[in-house]
This record gives sequence, structure tokens and C-alpha cells, in this order.
Amino acid sequence: MVGNSETISYVDNGKLCQFHGGLILEHHKCESMARPLARPLLPEYLRVSLRLNRGNVSKPVVETGDKVLKGQVIAVPDTPRGVYVHAPTSGIIMEITQRPVASPDADLAPVVCIRPDGKDQWTPRQAVAEPFSLSRQELVQRIREAGIVGMGGAGFPTHLKYQKPAELLIINGAECEPYISCDERLMLDYPHELLQGTRLLMHASGAKEAIIAIEDQVGRVRSVLEKIIREKHYPGIRVVKVPTIYPAGGEKQLIKVLTCQEVPSGGIPMDLGIVVQNTGTAKAVRDAIVEGTPLIQRFVTVTGDVVGEPRNFEALIGTPFRHLLSLAKTDDERLHRLVVGGPMMGYAMPEVGTGIDKTSNCLLALSEEITRHHGPLMPCIRCGECVNVCPQELLPHQLHWYIKGENLEMAREHHVFDCIECGACAWVCPSQIKLVDYYRYAKAELRYLDYKKAKAERAREQHEKHDRRLERLKAERAARRKRHTQRLKDPASARENIAATLERLKQKPAPNRAGEPASISPEGDKSKDNTAETTDNPESSNRTETTPSGKDNNPA
Amino acid sequence: MKLSIESAPHIPRPISVQKVMGLVILALVPALLAHWWFFGPGILVQVILAVGFALAFEAAMLKARQVPLKPFLTDLSAVLTGILFALCVPPLAPWWIALLGMFFAIVVAKQLYGGIGNNIFNPAMLGFAVMLIAFPREMSNWLAPRDIAIHMPGLWETLQHIFTGGLSQSQVAYDTLTQATPLDTIKNGLRQGQALSEIRSQPVFGDFGGMGWEWIANWYAIGGLFLWRQRIITWHVPAAVILTTIAFSLPFFLYDSDVFLSPLQHLFSGGTLLGAFFIATDPVTGSSTPRGKLIFGAGVAILMILIRQFGTFPDGVAFSVLLMNSAAPLIDRLTIPKPYGTKGQRHG
Repeated sequence: MVGNSETISYVDNGKLCQFHGGLILEHHKCESMARPLARPLLPEYLRVSLRLNRGNVSKPVVETGDKVLKGQVIAVPDTPRGVYVHAPTSGIIMEITQRPVASPDADLAPVVCIRPDGKDQWTPRQAVAEPFSLSRQELVQRIREAGIVGMGGAGFPTHLKYQKPAELLIINGAECEPYISCDERLMLDYPHELLQGTRLLMHASGAKEAIIAIEDQVGRVRSVLEKIIREKHYPGIRVVKVPTIYPAGGEKQLIKVLTCQEVPSGGIPMDLGIVVQNTGTAKAVRDAIVEGTPLIQRFVTVTGDVVGEPRNFEALIGTPFRHLLSLAKTDDERLHRLVVGGPMMGYAMPEVGTGIDKTSNCLLALSEEITRHHGPLMPCIRCGECVNVCPQELLPHQLHWYIKGENLEMAREHHVFDCIECGACAWVCPSQIKLVDYYRYAKAELRYLDYKKAKAERAREQHEKHDRRLERLKAERAARRKRHTQRLKDPASARENIAATLERLKQKPAPNRAGEPASISPEGDKSKDNTAETTDNPESSNRTETTPSGKDNNPA
Repeated sequence: MKLSIESAPHIPRPISVQKVMGLVILALVPALLAHWWFFGPGILVQVILAVGFALAFEAAMLKARQVPLKPFLTDLSAVLTGILFALCVPPLAPWWIALLGMFFAIVVAKQLYGGIGNNIFNPAMLGFAVMLIAFPREMSNWLAPRDIAIHMPGLWETLQHIFTGGLSQSQVAYDTLTQATPLDTIKNGLRQGQALSEIRSQPVFGDFGGMGWEWIANWYAIGGLFLWRQRIITWHVPAAVILTTIAFSLPFFLYDSDVFLSPLQHLFSGGTLLGAFFIATDPVTGSSTPRGKLIFGAGVAILMILIRQFGTFPDGVAFSVLLMNSAAPLIDRLTIPKPYGTKGQRHG
């Protein structure tokens, strides 16, 4: 592995690298940044999803009708990768039911529906006065108990990133997707909290250096943060502006820009000794440790061309989309598409009643005009613009052709698993092909095929093992039979054998109830031996009585 | 409220196939005008004929394939094929050259392979190559460029010649109008044992290439640079064609400048620059990986020079492009770029 002192020296020199391709997009961030942060009034109900990060579902520990306090645990993980879920406010559990959740597939998952009682009454909180006196493990444990996941969008459980010590912490404030401004808002409104969180994460990871990466178009953020860093003498934290090129905020791209290193294909930043964390996550960690507040609220941008007053909200997890949309004065008549996330990677939701979850950074309400296609869907003309813009240096059009032809193994050979699904290729496609859909399909299909293959492989191994065992048993039986026939051929040992059997029969209390296990078990092995022989050896008629019992005892 | 649940991207995208084709056509306009200036209005008639036939064949085939007509007729790809073909045929070529050429281009090379995006061979070049092989006489009777022409045919004479094959009312004989192309002149001269320096002293030659031709070639290059600026093409193919043409022809030229054409002559003659910027850059039939494009362009240049110097045809752009078309899928397979994170550590 590369020395990370070297990693950091690049930043010291102020030298940044470039990733391949990328797009320059219209930001559309000013709309929502023009208004200050707002905290919405309590909605009528909260819908808290228990499914986070790719199918990990937490187990509810409350029941319908229970009264819960703000911050109380309502669901616990049943795997080490799972996360805790807390009640965002005090109230009554109305129901725990399967509902569509804010995820790309809008799939059904368990959702806890809470009716707030309006008191917003906290459960006792455990604040830590001296957070730096905690050990790394204690810190990570507290992060886990606070239910913190990556708040940039992927929702990776935060505690899993601190299993090994790292050398560099990157706080990702580069919101590269248009329209979203919740990180910028957070950095401007909570700079102290962000920096405290950064220091706590440095402590948790053991990293001596931290970089807060922001896009060069976000005006005041850098000076605000640097002023605090100077005044408080926070060592090792630097604010670095990166060029505003989509997807500069992608984890892999950001690492490339800041350190000139590439995360190995199929690997994670930790392979380079780097941990990347979203700004929101850093603040959530600070709140969890310093205040004892679990992750029950987040910054969310509500914007789009049908939103009358675009702005950022600090909203409770589970707040229904509808509530936020109406607070932002959305024109319901013109609302054509409701996107969770940004316009490049976000997913359209089928209904407005769903609640935001820990990863929902933006609600984008768009009209039909803006989502309309530029031209008709056409076949790929291999123009290669997707190749030019792909930040992962893939061949998106070739992948598309292979996947279209169901040649999925060729898609694998063309590195489909390195695709980060940023959507740059789909955006520049003159044929208006939804390229990312193809890659998602191929990845899912290949994973399933691999799973099936692995299963078949396991079954085959089992079968072979079984066959081998049968063969071995057969060989052993043959060997025993051979031994026995030899013994029978030898008159002396045959006589001895007969004598021994007669002796045994004499000792039996009831010969006609042959097969009492008790009579044979003391000689376990030997009797088994006999059994094996007798079945194939009709000559030894005097031993038939023992046969059934021997068979029963045979563990095979 | 019914919400649309289409997948990302959710914001308008900047470009369409129609726009790509439209920009390529736009980039060809200066060269078309230069063509008109040097060789008279024949090119305009040829463009109209070829585009008309191309659209007619396209429509008929789409109908036969039961594919919706509108998106595919308005994508301008057939129009572009027609224009590229027209730029390659002699201005006074009979009308049925365009008809047959477009039949092979649109019906055979494009639609029978599955229409736009699915064709293996460049339609315009395939149509042109078939015509060149089948009707060499009609395809090689070029007009003399304006500066040395005894008589420039007007629109009426042009139409008359294209549709009737002769000039009944004209005092000018056909033979005085037409002249071999510069590359034809070279080929014939070399066959007769003349030295290049001798051949090049004929009036049909200009500073680098053929008179008039070299200017049209310039406009192709300028149109191509426009396309590069517009991100419709990348630099790879034109750079590879041009640099390979120079690099590959230079040793021959230095070895014997009486038999082998100079690099500049190669560049500014025939279809070299048209090929470099507009034909070999055809995305559908060319290579699509960055390294593959370099190989593809180099291959076109090398084959073109070999055909010009050692083959029977005076120019080789069409044939070399078609040959490389057939190699493009293999080139793509062999030049898959290494994605992010697979190149090993750079500072390790």
C-alpha cells in the first residue's frame, strides 16, 4: 500500500488531480440557498422506514399502541451491518406495516407509523462531556447506537467504516448533483458542529489529517470554516475546494481529485487508508456524542421548478414528502415527477405520502416540461460521448449493446461492476437511452447468476462428497467381506467363530425375540462387522438372528 | 395525482441524434459551397438527387420493416448519407448513379442490417464503392476546376447532362468539360512511366493537391475542427489519419519522389480529409474506444496509401474505410480501456 504521508503531501502542495470525463451542469442551487433553513412543524404522522441501506431491515421492538418518547429505540438491528432506529418525536405507534419506502425500487418494507403527541418529549439522553477521553471502540459503539448511516445518499452504516484505523478522513461537502444544497446549508449554519464532528471522526478513525472538500462554486463556506479552524486551533483539518464537475462528489472521484490515488476496483477507500464521510454524517456523529441525540432528523432540500419557495429543512426522519412539499408551497397541479435525491441519480417516487429516511437529501418536484425528452428514443449510434464523460473510464455504449444482447458475461468483461451509476452517460446520450437502467439490470442479473452458480457448485461438491463416501463405504465393505471369507476358509478361525456365536446365543434370554439391542451393543463394532457380512453371506445362517438388530443399529 | 416514475436523469438532456446529424451536415456546408464554386452547380443537383433517393429508400424500408417512420426519417442520418455520397460522385454523373448508389447505401448497407446504429459498413462509402466498381467510367469523369476550365456548365446544362446523358443544344463537347481527377492523372501518368515531377506540372494540380480540390479539402478540415469543438467527434480519428498519412507516405516519398506521392499530395488529394473528418469518424461503423480510434484511423491511412500507390484504383479512401469497418468490432474488443481503480497505484 502507498504511504499516506504521500497522499497528504499532494494536498499540502495544493495540487489536485482530475478524474476522467465528468459533466458541467447548471447548479440550480441558488433557488434553495436564497432562503434560510426552516424547521417544519410536527406533521400529522411520521413514517419511519425500518429498511436502510440495501435491504438491511431492522427488527421493531415496539408494538402498535405503544407510547414512545423522542429518541427512544424503536427497532434494533439483527446483524452487525444493521442500524438502530429511534423515534423522531414522542407519540403513539399507530401501526407497523409494509409500505413503499424511499428507495430506488419504492419497494414495500416495514414502516413504523407514529402519531406525534405534540410534546416532543425526550427520552433520557447520554451526553459525553469529554468525548476525546472515549476510546475509539467506545466512540464507534456510540455511533452505532445512535443509528448513524452515511447521509450522502448510499446510507452505508457509519460504524462499519471504523473497524480499522485510517490515515486520512475526507469530509465530503462536494454536492455535485444540481439542485441539492443541504450540505452547503449545513456547513454555513452549523460550522462549529461540523468541525466538532470532524474531530470526533478523526478520533474514531485514528486519522491525523482531515480534508473538508467543497465545490469551488460554494462561496462563503471555505472562509467560514477556515476562520473557526484558525480560532480554535484545530490541527490537521483543511478545507479544499474541488472543481465543480459532476460527479466530483462521488467517493471514488473525490479521492482521485484530492489524493491522485484510485480506489482499487472492487475495493473500498479503506484500502488506501481513507475514510470518506458526508458532512451531514459528521454533524450527526457530533450530535450523538456531545448531546446524546440519536439520528432522528436531517437536512433536506426541497426544490424544483414547481416548488414555490425552495429551501432547506431540518426535518424529522419520517416526515411525509407531502408535508415538506406543501410547506415549500409546491404547485400540486403541475407536479409531474417527485424525485428523491438529485436529478442525475435520484429516483422518482410513486406517491407523496412516504416519509423521508436517513438518506433523503433532496426532494425534487419537477413539472412535465422540464422532464420531457429532447428527442425520441433511438438506437445507439455509438457516438462515444458516453465514453468521453464516464468518470470510471468505462465503455458505456458497449456495455449497453452487450446487455441488450443478453451477453452479460461480456458486460462483466467490460467492467460493468465498476459503474458507479452516476448517470453521466445517460445524460449525454443523443439517443436518449436510459443507460444506467441497463447496468443496474446487468449487475443484479450477474449477481443472481453468480449466486446460482455458487449454489450449484456447492451442491455439486456435496454430491461428489456423498459419492466419495458411498464409494469408500463400499470399498470398506468389500475389504471386510474379503477378510471374513478368508477367515471362514481358515478352518481354525471358522470353528472359533461358530463357537463364539453359539456361546452368545446361549446367553440370550429369549432367542425368539432376537434383535434386542442390549445384547449386542457391548460388542458394537464387532456386531456391525458381522452385519455387513451376513447381508451378503447366506452361508452363515446361524447368524441370521443378529442381522436385523445389526441393521437397526447401523448408523449409516 | 399520477406521478411519473421514470428513471434518471430527470433534467433535459442537451442533445439528440437529429442534432448530431444536423451539426455534421452544417459542418459540410462550407465544403459544399467550395465544391459549387470550383465545379459548378452539379453538386447541388447531386445532393438533391441523393438525399431524395435516400429518404425514399429509407421510408420504403422502414415501412417494410414495420418501424415507425417519423423518428427515423427525421433523424437526418439518411440525409447525411446522401450528402456524403453526392460529395464523392462527379458533378455531372447521370441521375441513376445516385439512385443505385443510394439503393446500396440505404437498403443494403443500412436497413438490411437493422437501420441506424446497427450497420457494419459506412452506407455512403459502400454505395460509392459499389458504383465505382460497377460504373468506373461514369464515376471518373470529373469536371475541370473553374480556374482551368474552358467552359463552366450552367445549371441548365448540368440538369440536361445529368438527366439525359448529353448536351444536345450545347456547342461544347462533353470531353472538353470533363477531365481526369488529379489522382487519376497521377495513376495514368505513372502507368505510362512518367515521373511525378513531370505529371505534377500539369495544370490540374495546385499547390499541394489538385487545383480546387485542395481548397475543398481545406474546408473539410475546417468543418471537421468545428465538429471537434462541438464535441461531435474526438480528435483521435482525424489525428490518426492525418499523422499516419504523413508518417507512412514520407519514407516512400523520400525513397523515390518520382514514383511516390508526397505526404501533402496525399493529404490534399481525393477524399483524405473528407475521410479523416467525416467518414472514418462515423461513430456507428468505426471503432469507439480511444485507442481503437487511433488504430482505426491509422489503418484507414495506411490502406489508403497502399491502394493509391499499388492498387488499381486512383483513390482508396472508400475501400480502406470499408475494410477498417469490418475490423472495428475486433479493434474494440482488443482495446477495452482500463477503468478507474484497475491501473495500479501511480505513486506507489
